[in-house]
Amino acid sequence: MMVLAGTIWQRELVEFAQRRRALIIKLAFPLLVGIPLVTAAPPFYAALSLTMLIAIIGTVGAGAVLTRERHSGLTLRYRTLPVTPGRLLIERLSTSASIDLLQVTPVLVLIALRHPSRFEWWPALLLSTAAVLLLGNLMGAVASKLSDSPGEVMLYVFIPLLPLLYLSGVFTPLSQPVLLVISRLLPFSYLHESLLGALSGQPNLLPWETLLGGFGFLVGAAGLTGRLGRRVTESD
Amino acid sequence: MKANTASEPSLLAATGLSRSYRGGKGVFDITLKLAAGEVLGLMGPNGSGKSTLLRVLATAATASAGRVSWFGNPNPRSPSVRRRLGVMLDQAAHFDKMTGYQNAWFFARQFGLAGELARDRLDELFRWAGLWEARDQLVGEYSLGMQRKLNLVEALVHRPSILLLDEPTLALDYRAELDLIERLQLLSLTGTAVLLATNDVHLAERICDRVIFLHQGRAIREGHVPELLTELAGSKEVQLQMNSPIPLDTLRSLPAVEAANVDGDTVHIVLARGANPAQVLAVLNGTADLVSNMRVRRPNLGDLFLKLTGEALPVTHG
Repeated sequence: MMVLAGTIWQRELVEFAQRRRALIIKLAFPLLVGIPLVTAAPPFYAALSLTMLIAIIGTVGAGAVLTRERHSGLTLRYRTLPVTPGRLLIERLSTSASIDLLQVTPVLVLIALRHPSRFEWWPALLLSTAAVLLLGNLMGAVASKLSDSPGEVMLYVFIPLLPLLYLSGVFTPLSQPVLLVISRLLPFSYLHESLLGALSGQPNLLPWETLLGGFGFLVGAAGLTGRLGRRVTESD
Repeated sequence: MKANTASEPSLLAATGLSRSYRGGKGVFDITLKLAAGEVLGLMGPNGSGKSTLLRVLATAATASAGRVSWFGNPNPRSPSVRRRLGVMLDQAAHFDKMTGYQNAWFFARQFGLAGELARDRLDELFRWAGLWEARDQLVGEYSLGMQRKLNLVEALVHRPSILLLDEPTLALDYRAELDLIERLQLLSLTGTAVLLATNDVHLAERICDRVIFLHQGRAIREGHVPELLTELAGSKEVQLQMNSPIPLDTLRSLPAVEAANVDGDTVHIVLARGANPAQVLAVLNGTADLVSNMRVRRPNLGDLFLKLTGEALPVTHG
C-alpha cells in the first residue's frame, strides 16, 4: 500500500523507508562497526571510535543529501513552499537526525546490554548522542552550501570536525586547564564522556553533568538550526 | 485572456529588478506588472535571463536590486505569498524514490489542501495530464515529459492566483500541449494571472496577452501581442535550407532584408514590407544548388525578435 506523506518530516521518513537497500545498509553499518568495539575493545578506544562514528553519521549524511538536492533543483522547489526557512530546516534536520539516531540505536542497546550496571549513564548517552547528531546534521547542511558534490561535503565536514574532536579530548585525554575548558564548550566531549561512562570506562564528568551538557547542546542545536534556516535554505 | 489590463491592480509588480551572477549573467533593471486574468510571456533565447527572472518572481531566488511585490506584499518568504503562487521551474526536480502520486500529494498538502480536497483535485489533474495509469510508478522511472506533466499538476493543484511556468510545453506531446493551452485559457478567464517563460512562439501568440522580449538579461521590448505582430504586417519570413554556408553580410546589406540569421543549416530572413523573396534568390544567382529547400510564411513573434536583436529564438516546433 502506498503511504502518503503531507508534511516535511513524514516525507523524509517515507522516502527513507522506501529506499530498502539504503535502509538495510544504514542500519547494519553502525552495528557491524559497533559489535567488536563494544564487546572487545578497551573503553577508551571504543568511546573514541563510537564518538567519531556518530559525529560522521550526522554530518556526512545530511550534507550529501542536501548537495544532491541542490543539483537536482529540489532546493529551489523547497524554497517555493509556504514554509518559513527556519521551520523548514528544523523539520528537515531533526527528521534526518532522528533517522540517524535510529541508525545508532542498535549500538546504544548493545552497550546497555553489555554494561547493564552503568544505567545511570544511559539518559546522558541518549541526549548527548541526539545533540551531536543534530549539530552534525547542521554542520553537514552548512557544508553542502560550499560543496559541489557529496565528495566535497566530506572535505568541508572533516576539516573542522577532526580538530573539534581533538579539542573535545576524544583522541587523547586533556590535562591543560585551557584545553579542558574548551572541551566543555564542545558537544563531542559530552558524548565521549557518556560513552566512557556507559562502557565502564573512567569519565571525568559525573552522569548528571554530562546529561546537562547533552541537554544544553540539544536545545542550542535546535535554536541554531532555526536561526540559520534562511542562510542555509534561501541563500544562493 | 485580457486585451487591456493597464488600469487594473497588479497581483505581481516588479520595479528595477536585477539579479546578477558572477560572470555578468543575470537580469537587469526589469519592470513589469501582472494583473488578474492576464497572461504575460517572457521570450528570449537561452541565456537571456527568462528562467532567472521567473525564479525571482517565483520567490525561489532573491533579487540583487529593485523591488518586487506579490499581492502588495514585498516579502518573498511570506508563506501567505507563496501559498498563492503555482510554480513550475525549468528543472523537473522531484523525489525520485517516491511515486508520482506521493510527490503530488506532498506538494498539495504543503500548500494547505485538506486530505479529501487534495485527493479529489489530484485525481482530476492526474487524469487530465494522462498520468493516472502511472500514478503509482516511481518518478525516477518517469520520462521527462511525464515529469513535466507532474510539475504542472503540482503547480495547479492548489488553484493559485498566479501561475509562473518555465517552458511549460517543453517535452510535452502535441495533445498535451493543446490540453495545457485550453486549461491556461480557462484559468485566465477565471482570474488567474499567468507568467510564462517560453521560446514557443506559437504558444505565446495563442495565449499571451502581452510579451516581454529579453535579450542579454534586459527587457528590450514589451507589448500586446496583436500590436507587436502589426509591426510585421506585410513582411514575410523566408527560410532557406542550405547545402553549404552563404555570406550573411551580403544578405543583410540588401534593402529588402530586415534581419537574417543562421540556425543550423537554415537561414532565417525577415523581408521588409512589400519585398519579394525573389530579390533574395537573385543574390544567390548562380549558386541556386546551395539551396535545398525554401519556405515563405507569415512572420511571427520570433521574427520580430530576430528583427530587434539579430538573434533567432531557439526553434521549439518543427
